[in-house]
Amino acid sequence: MREKKPFKRKRNPLLAAKVSEVDWKDVELLRKFISDRGKIRARRVTGLTPQQQKQVAVAIKNAREMALLPYPTSHRV
Amino acid sequence: MSRHYEVMIILDPTLDERTVTPTLETYLNVIRNSGGSVENVEIWGRRRLSYEILKHTEGIYAVLDLNATPEAVKEMDRQLSLQEIVLRTKVLRREPARATAKV
Repeated sequence: MREKKPFKRKRNPLLAAKVSEVDWKDVELLRKFISDRGKIRARRVTGLTPQQQKQVAVAIKNAREMALLPYPTSHRV
Repeated sequence: MSRHYEVMIILDPTLDERTVTPTLETYLNVIRNSGGSVENVEIWGRRRLSYEILKHTEGIYAVLDLNATPEAVKEMDRQLSLQEIVLRTKVLRREPARATAKV
């Protein structure tokens, strides 16, 4: 009865392909990890490792402080 | 002890972009006079801000790479923040082991 496993699919972390260290100034890259409301995407969505997710989160927060990325908003951006 | 720093500065967009480098130069002298070195000055130019800062929707971005003592960097940051043409600054310590110097 458990022959097919519809979930638990492997996602490629996307980062592994290009950068080893996340740069907070690389806005184009970081934009992929925020929703259109400006929230940081969850790890189960991004498919990153815990370490990478942390790096990305810190980078996004730094970028936000310098107005490179938006803070989360309830209204449309 | 000298460390590697990365400084980002957002300047008032009403400034002429040609005057940016000379303006920054006066503050870079703080670093140089203290025995530090300025490795790289990158002017990104005018850029849209993600949100308004002091009613401005744009800003002129500049990124500096420095080798300096903590005191010198702190002093430069203090002097910068006193300027009204400087909307915001950010100082980050980053060790030179960085390969991704793009943007």
